Amino acid sequence: MRVLIVEDEDKMADALRHGLEADHYTVAVARSGEEGFYLISTQAFDLVVLDWLLPGRDGIEVLTQLRQRGVTVPVLLLTAKDATEDRVRGLDAGADDYLVKPFAFPELLARTRALLRRGAPETTNQLAVADLEMDVATHKVKRGGRELALTAREFDLLEYLLRQHGRVVSREMLARDVWKESVRYTPLDNLIDVHVARLRRKLDDPSERKLLRTVRGVGFILDEDSA
Amino acid sequence: MIGIRRLRTRLTLWYVAPLAGVMGVYLAAVLLMLYWQMNRVLTHLAEEDLETVKGLLYFRPDGNMDLHLEYHHRTEWRQVQERLLEVLSPDGQILYRNERLGTRSIGGPPFPGEGERAYSERSARLSDGTAVVLVSGKYNLEGKRVLIRVAYSEDLIWGRLQETLVILLLALPFALSAIGLFGYKMAGRALDPIEKMARQARRINSENLDERLPVENPDDELGHLAAEFNATLARLGQSFEQLRRFTSDASHELRTPLAAIRSIGEVGLQQDAGADQYRDTIGSMLEEVNRLTGLVDNLLTLSRADAGHITLQASAFRLMPLLEEAASLLDVLIEDKTLRVNLVEEEPVSALADRSYIRQAVLNIFHNAVKFTSAGGAISARVYREASWAVLAITDTGPGIPAEHAGRVFERFYRVDEARSGEKAAGLGLSIAQWAVRANKGEIGLVSPPQGGCTFWIRLPAAPCEPAHRADGRHSRLTVS
Repeated sequence: MRVLIVEDEDKMADALRHGLEADHYTVAVARSGEEGFYLISTQAFDLVVLDWLLPGRDGIEVLTQLRQRGVTVPVLLLTAKDATEDRVRGLDAGADDYLVKPFAFPELLARTRALLRRGAPETTNQLAVADLEMDVATHKVKRGGRELALTAREFDLLEYLLRQHGRVVSREMLARDVWKESVRYTPLDNLIDVHVARLRRKLDDPSERKLLRTVRGVGFILDEDSA
Repeated sequence: MIGIRRLRTRLTLWYVAPLAGVMGVYLAAVLLMLYWQMNRVLTHLAEEDLETVKGLLYFRPDGNMDLHLEYHHRTEWRQVQERLLEVLSPDGQILYRNERLGTRSIGGPPFPGEGERAYSERSARLSDGTAVVLVSGKYNLEGKRVLIRVAYSEDLIWGRLQETLVILLLALPFALSAIGLFGYKMAGRALDPIEKMARQARRINSENLDERLPVENPDDELGHLAAEFNATLARLGQSFEQLRRFTSDASHELRTPLAAIRSIGEVGLQQDAGADQYRDTIGSMLEEVNRLTGLVDNLLTLSRADAGHITLQASAFRLMPLLEEAASLLDVLIEDKTLRVNLVEEEPVSALADRSYIRQAVLNIFHNAVKFTSAGGAISARVYREASWAVLAITDTGPGIPAEHAGRVFERFYRVDEARSGEKAAGLGLSIAQWAVRANKGEIGLVSPPQGGCTFWIRLPAAPCEPAHRADGRHSRLTVS
């Protein structure tokens, strides 16, 4: 999978490149709108990560021109502008998704994955990691064959972690996708931590093998390789 | 400055011009009156003269008529000099015309009944076009009926009128310019405060907003203007002060996590540690970054709110489900502290407001109540109606808020006691709650009795009728981030 990053800030561009490469993407970087436009016009990419504010031609201009020329490559727009009207403008210009800086990197990875397999959502009802099994249809969770009694919220949380297993999940992602809150407000981080702690107690305390791990400063990961 | 000069000129013109018009009308009226009066005088003279002439006319032996001019005491009188005299027989035959009249006729042939009973008075023209005042009368003279006409030329009147007009026209420009000059000076004096105000206003900028415009006379219009302007300046000054404090508080708040990030990074670099320890260091730095992000998010929300960039979508919703929603969202925190929570709906009440923002306000307040109530304590919340208000009140059994702080807890970054709460949240939650409630035309406040505990209340405009119960209170989303 080839991803093009159009970002003029060196540190940001490098961080994105390293992060995406670590997730097994082939990455090219353009440092200006013109360069980005040229690369997209001459090479094939599966995804473009486009910064809004660029020197010279800005991201929206590049995007508008690409769409006018009939280029349909998925575009993830990055910007520090988070007013609703900016969002609408970005999506109107033809962006497929929109990420507000500063964002958590796991969030970028999740959006990237979502854009690349767009149209083929994961529908399986049987989820499993190591000796943990979940049947979404019957709302049953088993660890090593023993059924776990989870609250509705804990179940949703675990389902989300299972679907993202092996990847770090940030608190923002949990707030949006599990709690369905689009605004971050003070109580939520606190709440998420408590819920995760409770889930971990039910999930991992009885078992030798710990699956749910906190990645300090980033979020949580459900992973069979957890130490 | 030029604007004021022009205003001054305009003002002067504005009252000189109508004045000139009025004077023109006055002049015309005076001349008309004068004409009419002199016409009367001339007619009167003609009547007198008619009587005189009647006595002086006689028939000469040759049958022609003549006038005893020698009978006049003073033939140099103008009455005699300017006289135009014609005598006609009743059938219009000319019996006599005096020398001054010559061959000209006065008023043509007699009209029926002319001078029969009384004097006939009229304006007429001589056959050469000279306008005259004409008086005629019928008399018996030596046994014959005769029509005597005496006339005076109106030139007499026009001469006088012309003199008067010239005198008045000569005086008019002087009068007008004197008035204009006076007016110009008065306008200048009246506009002087504006000039001063403008000069002072030019000097005022964001650095010296405490300066004020001079108020010369608080009772007149300009004084009123200056006072209003000063009130505006005062309000501006207040907002600037608030902004300055907010900016300085914000930078202070931002500096705290920044300092932590820096220290953690620097200390981490100094040590030659293993991967795990570095991971821990970076994680710790990221935690501070999250704090910063949250802070900036909140600041942005508030600054958008201040700028009025957030549009609210009001709808009617029941308060009780909202309260239950907040309690259920916070349930794990409540359980952890083994708090007893009691929610009471005294009567079904609906509010008319933007539910998502009110939800955020209620969550912030509820979360505060959970935070400040010590383990094993109780929180009670009530929903009720009060006049046209839908009220929601949340009471905790925490330490309460000292009276001197009660008025300030809604201020941005204000903290009653950082050490006690042990929370690191930037003090913006209540500010945002206050904004959300006020933006929805509601009120927010708190009651904290000295013995401890604290009640925060939110009053919102009550919806006129109860909407259908919303089974799923969570389907409303926060739409603006």
